[in-house]
Amino acid sequence: MKGIAKSLLTTLSTFSRKPVTRDYPNVHKALPERDRAFPLLLWDQDIDEPFCTGCHACERACPVECMTVLMKDNPNHKSVGGTSSRRKIIDKFWIDYARCMRCNICVEVCNFDAIAMNNTWTGHETSVHDRKDLVMDLQMLLSQSHAGAIKEWVPVMARLT
Amino acid sequence: MVTERAREFDTQDLLINVGPQHPSTHGVFRMVLEIDGELVKDVIPYIGYLHRGAEKLCETMDYRQGIGFMDRTEYLAAFNAELSYVMAVEALAGLEVPERAQWIRMILCELNRISSHFMFMGAFGVDTGVMGTPFIYGWREREGIIDLFEEISGDRMMYAYFRPGGLAWDVTTNFKARVREVLKSITQGIKDFDGLFTENEIFVARTKGVGYISAEDAIDYGMSGPSLRASGVPMDVRQDEPYLKYAEIDFKVITGEHGDVFDRYYCRLQELRESVKIIEQCLAKMPDTGPIMPEKMPRMLRTPPGEVYIRTEAPRGEYGVYLVSNGGNRPYRLKVRSACLSNLQALKQMSVGQYVADAILVLGSIDIVLSEVDR
Amino acid sequence: MNTDLFGLQVNVWADAALRLQLIVVFMTVVVMGLIWAERRILGRFQQRIGPQKTGPFGLLQSLADAVKLVGKEDLRPKNADPWTFELAPFLVFIPIFMGFVIVPFLVGWNIKVLELGLLYFVAISSVNIVGWVMAGWGSDNRYAMIGGLRAAAQSISYELPLVLSLLSVAMVAGTLNLDEIVRQQGSVPYIVWQPMAFAIFFIAALAELNRAPFDIPVGESEVVGGPFVEYSGIRWSMFMLAEYAGLLIMAVVGASVFLGGYAWPLGEELGLGWQVVLVGAKASLIIFAVFWIRASLPRLRIDQLMGYSWKILLPLVLVQILVNGLVLVYGWSEAILGVVGLAGVVALVSITGRAANRPRQIPARAAALKGEAA
Repeated sequence: MKGIAKSLLTTLSTFSRKPVTRDYPNVHKALPERDRAFPLLLWDQDIDEPFCTGCHACERACPVECMTVLMKDNPNHKSVGGTSSRRKIIDKFWIDYARCMRCNICVEVCNFDAIAMNNTWTGHETSVHDRKDLVMDLQMLLSQSHAGAIKEWVPVMARLT
Repeated sequence: MVTERAREFDTQDLLINVGPQHPSTHGVFRMVLEIDGELVKDVIPYIGYLHRGAEKLCETMDYRQGIGFMDRTEYLAAFNAELSYVMAVEALAGLEVPERAQWIRMILCELNRISSHFMFMGAFGVDTGVMGTPFIYGWREREGIIDLFEEISGDRMMYAYFRPGGLAWDVTTNFKARVREVLKSITQGIKDFDGLFTENEIFVARTKGVGYISAEDAIDYGMSGPSLRASGVPMDVRQDEPYLKYAEIDFKVITGEHGDVFDRYYCRLQELRESVKIIEQCLAKMPDTGPIMPEKMPRMLRTPPGEVYIRTEAPRGEYGVYLVSNGGNRPYRLKVRSACLSNLQALKQMSVGQYVADAILVLGSIDIVLSEVDR
Repeated sequence: MNTDLFGLQVNVWADAALRLQLIVVFMTVVVMGLIWAERRILGRFQQRIGPQKTGPFGLLQSLADAVKLVGKEDLRPKNADPWTFELAPFLVFIPIFMGFVIVPFLVGWNIKVLELGLLYFVAISSVNIVGWVMAGWGSDNRYAMIGGLRAAAQSISYELPLVLSLLSVAMVAGTLNLDEIVRQQGSVPYIVWQPMAFAIFFIAALAELNRAPFDIPVGESEVVGGPFVEYSGIRWSMFMLAEYAGLLIMAVVGASVFLGGYAWPLGEELGLGWQVVLVGAKASLIIFAVFWIRASLPRLRIDQLMGYSWKILLPLVLVQILVNGLVLVYGWSEAILGVVGLAGVVALVSITGRAANRPRQIPARAAALKGEAA
């Protein structure tokens, strides 16, 4: 019976400790800067256009092929009287969040630091009623960065890129 | 006498289907128990519900893309699974991993072993019938470790952090302090489990002498990890073929002597303490600064033709990766040697002749991860 | 014929009906409270918060659950035996409810004072096993069947120590009338004279109620809820109600028989309010212990469970009865009872410890079991 008494005392000691669980939907834990939810595109606030030039690097590197990228000529390029130095710019971009496995490879291969993993809670709480709603289009992917709602963290890759 | 009486009454054996949706099959494992009263006469296991063809998928991807799939073969100890894979790629490509990266890898793998063992304690405790308490204890400690992993790698379970050659990016600046903090909480968690189970008479009565397998049988089945060591075989890849920096670390290989369910539990509990010691030594020896990747890494890693088998000690046993390359940037063939699958083979041997409740405990004590069994 | 109810002269039958109504309301409210309390207390033991969204501190959780359960579809498996399946919940619930007839909550506050109250209680409370077996058999589910048979075996085994431990008090008290037993404990509760009987009563009650560590019939990790596995909605909630009502009745009876009920330590002339507090506190103590054990102890195996009852509890309680008889016949001092009881508790503890820590004879046992199975 000594062991049983010991178990009972152990549970009693946890009885007196503070709960370790969080009241989740009301209380969110602070996410670290490197937290990876789903990828989203970044907005170049200086020139007021996306960083992404639609170069297909991420699309080709994606192991689960969840991205679709289309590029176009930049209407805001210097040659046509604009302010941007980007000759090509992203036209359409879809990421299927249902397929994405959050491996960070798209961020690593991007030459323009135009894509980052969402490190806010909006990236984690993405449940929808229909899985086709998880296919994000360009506007959705850019909106957070455009509004300045995320603090992007693009890893400094150790000589891989 | 029992058998004679049984014939008189013309009894029938009962087949009951345990799983794939059963609270204690730890995932989507299914076994059909043939029972006579409360005694198990036969066990027919069915696997494959979680088969995704991870090995085949890796053959269509370059080496970096494969890491994500390796994570998913062993979701409770993804760092250990990644480690085997990247070490195999490194061996093929002839890459030299910087020292600091090796220390970090070791710390993370040992932490992952701890989190996986805590998960085992929790799930196994629930199998024995404590209502939820061990689960929360295990989860509590695992949560602290996972938070640390999230701070470093960005993800809580599928880290994709080890890369052929080293690490994807450097650890956070307060890494050592954070690990020490986590270790302190782990020590408390180990004490809690020790108090809750090790001497508890009911737990002892339920687990001692149950699910026995002899050392010879265990070796014949190809078991490894704590399940094998519980039978008294001191096989530990960390000790036998030291990889990373294990040669510079002083640690004990924990063995049991009886090969029953209790020993399999107790081995893991002691391994938790041993892992804490290993991490403390690593922290003392790890340099604070230094490269985490070799100087010259190609943009796209290509390997010369060849084949390699690398094995490491994952929490459940020997996790091996057999990699064949015919040149180019992707594996020609990848085969994962999963410890869980081999350990699971012995299920029948261990549970036939026991009570139904024991069969559940035996299954729990093997500590299977179905994604690793089915891949 | 009239009786006295709150100072009013009421017809006997109306009086009984009114008291039954009160009991129904009281029981339902207390059971809801118990379910809430169990979830909160288990939560604390497990460093969780427990239910907290419904009402203040989640107090309305049981009400929300009840609404949900009533609203759920009442499913019956295609191959289930309709009568057996649908009647089983009632057969589990009604005996528990009938048990409340004799429970002495306060002075003069049972539905009926029975001279053979204790006998009535142990008789009626064991009837519900029929419902368990029916639920197990009628569900046409193998888990349910195993669970039902386990429940039958367990209930029959633990009925004996339970009855005998209550009987040993009845022997000393010289009556089976629960009110009378409570009244005799005005100065010293019977736990002092019969500590071992209380220990055995507590263990056997845990088994009777299918609470941990004896929750083998409903073992979540083995038979997935046992006899309840096919039930849903209102029928399942009847099982739940019966389980917690059984816990309540067992706690109150235990408090009355061993802990002095409303009479100890302040005497039975106490105001009704204080009596409620006293009985409530004693019953809560027992219930808390039950919850605490549930949070801490693993489940026994079926053979260990049976062995524990027949080989350890039953002989010890028989020894207690023998000693009681000797003391009563020869008119020895009551102190002997207390000493023997304490020695019995020590014996119980040490025998249990030794039984659990027997050296393992693995290959022999494995071989024997295999031979038996083959």
